[in-house]
Amino acid sequence: MQIPAPFDYARASSVDDALALLERHGPESLIVAGGHSLLPMMKLRLARPEWLIDINDLFELDFIVRDGDRLRVGAMTRHTTLFESDEVRRLFPIITDAERTIADPVVRNRGTIGGSLCQADPAEDLSTVCIVLGAEAVIRGTAGERVVSMAEFHVGPYETSVAHNELLVEVRLPIRPRSGSAYEKVERRVGDWAVAAAGASVSLAEDGTIDHVAIGLTAIGLDGTVTEAEAMLHGKAPSEELFVEAGRLAALACDPLADQRGAIDYKRHLADELTRRVLRRASSRAAEAQEG
Amino acid sequence: MRFEVNGEPVDAEPHPGQVLRSLLRELDHFEVKKGCDSGDCGACSVLLDGAPIHSCIYPAHRLEGAAVTTVAGLGTPEHPHPLQESFVAAGGFQCGFCTAGLIVTASTFTEDDRHDLPRLLKGNLCRCTGYRSIEDAIRGVANTEAAPTGDLTGRSVAPPAALRVVTGTEGYTLDLRTTGLLHLAVLGSPHAHARIVYLDTSAAEAMDGVHAVLTYRDSPATLFSTGRHEQRTDDPDDTLVLDPVLRFHGQRVAAVVADSVAIAERALAAIHVGYDLLPAVWDPEEARSPGAPLLHATKGPESRIADPARNTVAEFHRETGDVEAALATADAVVTGTWRTQRVNHAALETHATRGWLDADGRLVLRTSSQVPFLVRDELCHIFGLDTDRVRVFTARVGGGFGGKQELLTEDLVTLAVLRTGRAVQYEFTREDEFRTAPPRHPMRVTVTLGASRDGVLTAMAVDELADTGAYGNHGIGVMYHSIHESTSVYRCPNKRVDAQSVYTNNLPSGAFRGYGLGQVIFAVESAMDELARTLGIDPFELRRRNVIVPGDPMIVADADERTDLLIGSYGLDQCLDLAEAALARGNGVGAPTGDTWAVGTGMGIAMIATVPPRGHFADTSVSLLDDGRFEVNVGTAEFGNGTTTVHAQFVATALNTTVDRVVILQSDTDVARYDTGAFGSAGVVVAGKALLAASGKLRERMLARAASLGYLGGVVEGGGVRAGDILVPAEKLLAAGPLIADGSHDGTPRSVAFNVHAFRVAVDRATGEVRILQSIQAADAGTVLNPEQLRGQIEGGTAQAIGTSLYEELRLDNEGTVTTAAFRNYHVPQFADIPHTEVYFASTHDPFGPHGAKSMSEAPYNPVAPALANAVRDALGIRPFELPMSRDRVWRLGE
Repeated sequence: MQIPAPFDYARASSVDDALALLERHGPESLIVAGGHSLLPMMKLRLARPEWLIDINDLFELDFIVRDGDRLRVGAMTRHTTLFESDEVRRLFPIITDAERTIADPVVRNRGTIGGSLCQADPAEDLSTVCIVLGAEAVIRGTAGERVVSMAEFHVGPYETSVAHNELLVEVRLPIRPRSGSAYEKVERRVGDWAVAAAGASVSLAEDGTIDHVAIGLTAIGLDGTVTEAEAMLHGKAPSEELFVEAGRLAALACDPLADQRGAIDYKRHLADELTRRVLRRASSRAAEAQEG
Repeated sequence: MRFEVNGEPVDAEPHPGQVLRSLLRELDHFEVKKGCDSGDCGACSVLLDGAPIHSCIYPAHRLEGAAVTTVAGLGTPEHPHPLQESFVAAGGFQCGFCTAGLIVTASTFTEDDRHDLPRLLKGNLCRCTGYRSIEDAIRGVANTEAAPTGDLTGRSVAPPAALRVVTGTEGYTLDLRTTGLLHLAVLGSPHAHARIVYLDTSAAEAMDGVHAVLTYRDSPATLFSTGRHEQRTDDPDDTLVLDPVLRFHGQRVAAVVADSVAIAERALAAIHVGYDLLPAVWDPEEARSPGAPLLHATKGPESRIADPARNTVAEFHRETGDVEAALATADAVVTGTWRTQRVNHAALETHATRGWLDADGRLVLRTSSQVPFLVRDELCHIFGLDTDRVRVFTARVGGGFGGKQELLTEDLVTLAVLRTGRAVQYEFTREDEFRTAPPRHPMRVTVTLGASRDGVLTAMAVDELADTGAYGNHGIGVMYHSIHESTSVYRCPNKRVDAQSVYTNNLPSGAFRGYGLGQVIFAVESAMDELARTLGIDPFELRRRNVIVPGDPMIVADADERTDLLIGSYGLDQCLDLAEAALARGNGVGAPTGDTWAVGTGMGIAMIATVPPRGHFADTSVSLLDDGRFEVNVGTAEFGNGTTTVHAQFVATALNTTVDRVVILQSDTDVARYDTGAFGSAGVVVAGKALLAASGKLRERMLARAASLGYLGGVVEGGGVRAGDILVPAEKLLAAGPLIADGSHDGTPRSVAFNVHAFRVAVDRATGEVRILQSIQAADAGTVLNPEQLRGQIEGGTAQAIGTSLYEELRLDNEGTVTTAAFRNYHVPQFADIPHTEVYFASTHDPFGPHGAKSMSEAPYNPVAPALANAVRDALGIRPFELPMSRDRVWRLGE
C-alpha cells in the first residue's frame, strides 16, 4: 500500500481559519505541517484522515523572537531555520546539536518544530530537548489560548494534550544566565532515529556550583527528566565523579524496550555513557558562558 | 490548480490524496523517479520554489502558484547544467536511477556547503557507487573522457548514456506513457504456511474499474522457478504463478487488474479468503530435522529437489585426504561458527513490468530484468507460447545486483495481459521489495582449520547450512558456488566440505552479488585470521604460504573434479603486496580522541570465477550504417554495471572510430539472437568477447568489400575504408550490399579473478561504533579496460559489503513476517557512512578474456566483511562471529 487513502484537502489561511476548519470537519480531520511523518503514515494506513488541513501558509507561526528572559519559537519554524539561527546556537546549543542529527536537509526544509512535537514519536529528538530546556507550549483553541509545561503537553507515545480542535502555536524557552546545554545521540546509521540519546542543560550559580540542571533521555522509556540525578547534582560544583554517578542514575531511571536497535542492557549502558557526555559538554559550555 | 513545471505553466487538478511525485509523472515528467515513495531515498527530489523537497510525500494540492523544477528543468542534453556536466565528467553514477534526485539536491549547494556533504546528502541514497564519484562530481573533479580517439583499451570513457542519465532523459522501465494502461496489485498471504480453502472474488470482480481477479484457479499448472539460469534444470521446479498452498508470509494469494492501483488495492480488500493453517518452520536447523513440517513433500523427482522429505533442496558432502587424522596431528587447530543475515538488494528501481499485445498480437514485456532472454524462454515454457510470439526487453535498468535474475513480476503481467487483452503494469512497492523479493541467503558456516607450526594448512573442514526459504530459486546454485572459490583458493591436502540448503517458511532467498561466496568467505577468512594469531604469523604472510599459485589445481573437496575453470592469469600475489604496502603506508587519518577508542587492522582475500559455470552464451552482431556509424546488437542488459561503455570501447577500437559513432541496441529479444543474461559478471567477458569477434570480422569484411571495389591495402577509418589518399565512404561500401558480422562466445574456458581488502578501524568500546580510518582494496581484473568504471565497481561493491558488515539486516518476527520493510528501518549506507576506498590494480593479462580482461562486478564485495571483522577483532581483542556488526553487538563484544 503506497497510495494514501483518498482525503479532502483544505488550506488554512490563518490560525483562526485552521481552528474553524478543524471544528467544521470534526475528528476525521488532521493538521498537516511539513508532512514528513503524516504522509508516510497515511501511506501505511497508520493514519486515515478524511480531511487534511494544511497549515503551511501560516507564516504568522514562523518566527524566533527574544522576549525578555525567554525565546519564543513559532510552531511552524522549520528545522533549517532553527539549525541555522545564531541566537539559538548561542542560547541553546542543545537545539543546534539535536538539529544537526535530525534527518536530512530536505526533510529539515519542510519539517517544523511544531510538527515534531505534536508527532510525539518516542524517538523524536526535539521533545527531549524541550523537556530539558523547561519549555512551555502555547496551545490555541477557539475558546482561547492556554500555556502548558512539556510534562503536561506530552501525554505518551504519539499522544499530546493538544485536543483535536486545538493547534500548537508556539514554544517558549526560558533563558537562564550562565547556562550551557548539549545533546548527543547514538544512531545505527547517520540521520537515523536514535537507539538512545541524551540531552542536558546546566545553569551555574555565580560561585560556579550547579544552580539548575535537567537531564532528558530519548527513545529509552523515560517521560520527564532524570530527577534523581538532578537532585544529586544540585548545588555542587561540576565534576567528573558527579557525572559518572549521574550516568549511573540515568541508566537506572530509564526503561528501554529491546528491539532491532538494540537490547535492553545496551540501551541502559548508552543512557549512562551519553548522560556523562552531555553533562560534561553542557557544564563546559555553561562555564564558557560564565566567563564570556 | 495552476502551477509551473520547469518554467512551463500547468493547469491540473490532483486526485484526492495525490502526492506531487505521481502528479508529475502523470504529466510525463518521467525524470522524477520513484525509489521508496515515503521520503527516505531522495530519488524523487525536485525543487519547489528553489528548495529541494521529496515530491513523494508532498501533497499535490499545495502546488497552487508554485514553481517546480525537476532535473530536466536544470538542463538538457544539448544545454546541460554545469552540475550535470560534472556528473558526466566525474562518472558520478552507475545505474543512474538516483542521479536525478541527487543532482537536484546538489544544485542548491553553495561553495561553502562542500565541506558538509555527508550531512547535506543524508536524504539521497545511492546503491551503486559508494558515493566517491558523486562527491567528485559535486567538487568538479573530472575522471572520464567523452569520445577519445585511438586505442580505447584502458581509457576511462564516459558511458554512452551519460548525458541522458544526468538530464533525466534516459528512459527506465516505466518511463513511458501507455494509453489505457491497467494496473495490477497483489494480495499477500497473511500466513507463513496455509492452504486456501475458500476464495470468493465476486465482490472484487463487481467493483467499477476492476477488469480481472486472478487466483490459483487461473494459474498455469506448470511448475517453474523464479530463479533464472542458462539451464532451466539448474533450479528446482517448485513454484506456480499462483499456488493454493502458501509457504511464506506475503506470497501471492490473488491479483487484481484494474484501472488504477488505488482501485486494485480497494478490490483486494473485497476478496474473501479462508485459510487452513499449516504448521510452519522458520529455523533451518529445525527444518532439516525429523518431524519438521515439510514444504514441498508432494513434489516428485521431476521437480529436482534433492530430498523433499528433509526439506533439502541441495546438499554436498565430500572429503579429500583425511581431515580428522590431519587435525589430530596439526600443530595448531582453530574452529568457529559464523552467521550471516538476510540482505536486501535495495536497487533503487523496484521490480516492475509493463506488458501489452502489439499490432500482430505478440506479447511484449518491458521489464526491469537482468535476463530478458531467460524470462522470455521461461514464460514460453509456463504459458505454452512460441518464442517468436513473445518479445521481452529492458530499458535502462535501475540497479540489479542479482535481484533481477529472477522472474517476479513478468509472469503475473503475462497472465493479466493474456486474460484482458489490455496493457497491464505491475510495479513493486518498496515494501514489496523488502517483504517478498528474495534476499541474500542467510548462512551458518562452521570452519575448522589445522596447520603446521610454520603456517602450512594441513586440514580444512567447512560445514554450511543455508536457508533458501520457501522456494528453491538459486538455492542450489548459491550453495555450490558458496563453497567453491572460498575453499579452492587454498592449497590443502585434507579437505572436507559439507553443505546443505534447506526450505523454511521464510521468504525465499535468491541471487545477490557474490552468489553465496561472501557468506562463506566471511567464515573462512575469519578462521584464517584466527589461525594467523594462533601461530603468530602475519595474516598476509599466512595467505602467501597457502594460496594456490599457477599450476595448482582448484580443489573444493574432490581431487578428481575436472572443470573448465582455470587460472588463466594470476595476480593474487600482487594484490597481497599492494594491500599490505598501502596499509603499512597508512593514510594519515587518526583515531578519534578519547580513551574508549581502540584501533585495529584486518584483511581478507577472495577468489571468484570470471564466468558462471555450465554455459553462458552471447550472440552479437555489428553492422555498418550508411552514415558511417556502427550498429551493435547485443542481448545483455545495462543496469549500471558499465558493460555498454566497454562494448562501445571494443567496437570503436576494432573499427577505428569513436564511441559516439557506435549505436548500441541491447537487452531486447527482438534485436539480438541470444544472450544468457547480465549475471555472473559476464557482460564484458562473454558478450564483450563475442562483440570483439564480430567487430574483427566486420573489419575484414569492410576491407574485402573495398578490395572488391578496387581499393586494395586499405584500413578501416571514419566509418569507411581508407586506401592511400582515398576514403571510401560507408555509403559506397554498402552499395554492393549490407555489411554485417556476427560474433558469439560460449563462456568457456573460465578464469579466476582475485581481490584483497584491508582495513584500519577505530572502535568505540563505549558505544560500539566502528569508524573506518582506512579502506584498501587491491584487485586482479586482468587488463583494466576502463579504470574509472572498474574503480567504481570496486568502490560500489565495497560500499554494499560495508552495509552488510555494519548496518543491513532484513529482520523477521517469530511468524516469518518481515519487520524491516522500509528504508527507515532497513539501513542502506548513506554518503556519510562510506569511507573512501583506496583502489589498486594488479597488472596481469588473461588469455581467456577480451583484451586480457577478467570480470570484476561481484568480486569486490567478497573480501570486505571478513577484513572488517578481522580489524574489529584486532581492535577489541574479541572476534565477531555474526553479521551485521551493529553497534549493540560490537559494544557487547567489547564489554
